[in-house]
Amino acid sequence: MNSKWYLAAMILLVLALGAGAGCSKKTSTSTPPGTQVEVTDESRWAQPSTSGQPSVDEATLASEAERRAKAEAVQELTSVTIRFAFDSYELNTEARSILALKANIMRRFTDVRVVIEGHCDERGTEEYNLALGERRARAAYEHLVILGVDPSRMSIVSFGEERPLDPGHNETAWAKNRRAEFVVR
Amino acid sequence: MKRILTLCATFVIAVCAATSALASGPLTVDIHGPGQRMVNIILLPPKSLGGNELPQPQARAFEELVANNLSYIPFLKIIPMPELLGGDPSRGVGAGDIDFRPMQLARIDLCMTTGWNGRSVEARVFETFGGRRVVGKAYNDVGEITLAQAADRFCSAFLEALTGKKGFFDSPLAFVKQEGEGKEIFTVLPQGRELKRITKLGGFNLSPSWSADGSKIIFTHIAKTRHELGVYDSKTQKITLYSQGLGQTVISPMFGPGDRPVAALNLNGTTDIHELDESYRPKRKLAQSPYIEVSPSFDRTGSKMAFTSGRAGNPHIYLMDMKSGEVRRVTMTGTYNTHPCMSPDGRYIAYTARTGSGHRIFLHDLSTGREKQLTFGPGNDEYPAFDPDGYFLAFASSRTGEFKLYLTTRHGDTPRMLSTGPGQAFAPAWDTALQW
Repeated sequence: MNSKWYLAAMILLVLALGAGAGCSKKTSTSTPPGTQVEVTDESRWAQPSTSGQPSVDEATLASEAERRAKAEAVQELTSVTIRFAFDSYELNTEARSILALKANIMRRFTDVRVVIEGHCDERGTEEYNLALGERRARAAYEHLVILGVDPSRMSIVSFGEERPLDPGHNETAWAKNRRAEFVVR
Repeated sequence: MKRILTLCATFVIAVCAATSALASGPLTVDIHGPGQRMVNIILLPPKSLGGNELPQPQARAFEELVANNLSYIPFLKIIPMPELLGGDPSRGVGAGDIDFRPMQLARIDLCMTTGWNGRSVEARVFETFGGRRVVGKAYNDVGEITLAQAADRFCSAFLEALTGKKGFFDSPLAFVKQEGEGKEIFTVLPQGRELKRITKLGGFNLSPSWSADGSKIIFTHIAKTRHELGVYDSKTQKITLYSQGLGQTVISPMFGPGDRPVAALNLNGTTDIHELDESYRPKRKLAQSPYIEVSPSFDRTGSKMAFTSGRAGNPHIYLMDMKSGEVRRVTMTGTYNTHPCMSPDGRYIAYTARTGSGHRIFLHDLSTGREKQLTFGPGNDEYPAFDPDGYFLAFASSRTGEFKLYLTTRHGDTPRMLSTGPGQAFAPAWDTALQW
């Protein structure tokens, strides 16, 4: 019994050696003598992985595209702010169309969570501005809820006049600073 | 001729009557009346007592501390010694050792003497007309640290003797200081000493306010995604942050009647003023409307609450009777009146009014309905805060280009800048514990 197994193993080994030698012969023309065996072994190992590569590439490409689209969407979401009039938290037509765009993005990328920050210009006083900033953030929040964004994905915070976008003391700066900003968590 | 004679006689009699009245009546300063006169005071050179040598450095330091303290009192003018003709008119510290005449001639109303006996100091203030002692105090075992405290106590006693109201030299101010991008809370004595950091939390720490006994400071902490209610306890030197049940927004927290915490919260879409329980959870609404309600301020008895409300379309000051819940509008002019601070006796409301040239501090007298502008910029004058006796007002102003704290009175005396170290300073709040 033992000798039978031994014989079979020997035959397998010889066959394998033969196959190896056959392969090495094909490549021996292009490789210098001396390192033949090692080289063939490596090419043998590499073959299955190279044959599988194209399909993996497609998946990564798709996910890469998705990732890029999401990054762009997040960029779109965070870079465009909503502006307000002095001492007002009313959403004007422009603000509503910006929010509609943001709602589309939020609905498409369901794993994106945002903090809506309310900001004011420096002309008011601190405590009233904190309340006003909150009203601005809340106005944006409530509009997005109406447009079908899950409220649990959004939270609001007011910074009042603490974080101006433009440190200037003129109407242009104040107009920039009266805003609702979107920060992706 | 006869007519001229009678006129002259009447004039002489009138002058005599006036001078005798001046000489006999004790000098008093009515701090309730506007347009008061300036009172001149001179600090006489320190004397040695009991045969001991005068400790020069301490004596000089004490004098400087007192002079600095008194320089914050708008109706006191310190006359420098070299302006007095004939040199030092005193040989000792008692009334009998002082020649008051040169000071009367120089129109100096008050003189202060200090005597040193080793580590003990005696300080007195006399009226130069009658020689009456206004105040006299002795402090034993005065060391480096206790020197400043002795000076503060003496000045408080002096001011109380003069005006009937306790001074504020022992009552610290909490305020907000700019640190890089963020804001942190500090405390300082109004005369600029003992600057102390309270928070190092990062973000924005705003609206500090004291508990009635001065042991706690409550404030708003703004982190990246929400507001939290911060409470500093001076007994444990610890800060606790509360957010459970308070919503996303905590504005203008303070300790209200019965030392119960009060804050403006937004729990159902509108910012209303809520009373909180002892574990800092919302208990009941004090003031509410579909609009913004912030910045509550109470009198000492807690019977009235002034606050800012946007219910008329613009922010204005309103007053609530705490018993009946009745609310009435206080400010009728302007379009942006915010940040009320009620005087401890409940008679006045100081507030910030937005004018064409920036925010200014105004005073509303609830007993007469009259209003008076207290500050005149330039820049913005904001955050009025009454001192414990309701006579002085601290506020923040950007008149030098950056916000710093200033001191004025309810009569609108020339503001005096308070030293708070480098960095902008905002939102002063006075510890009123000494008046309770």
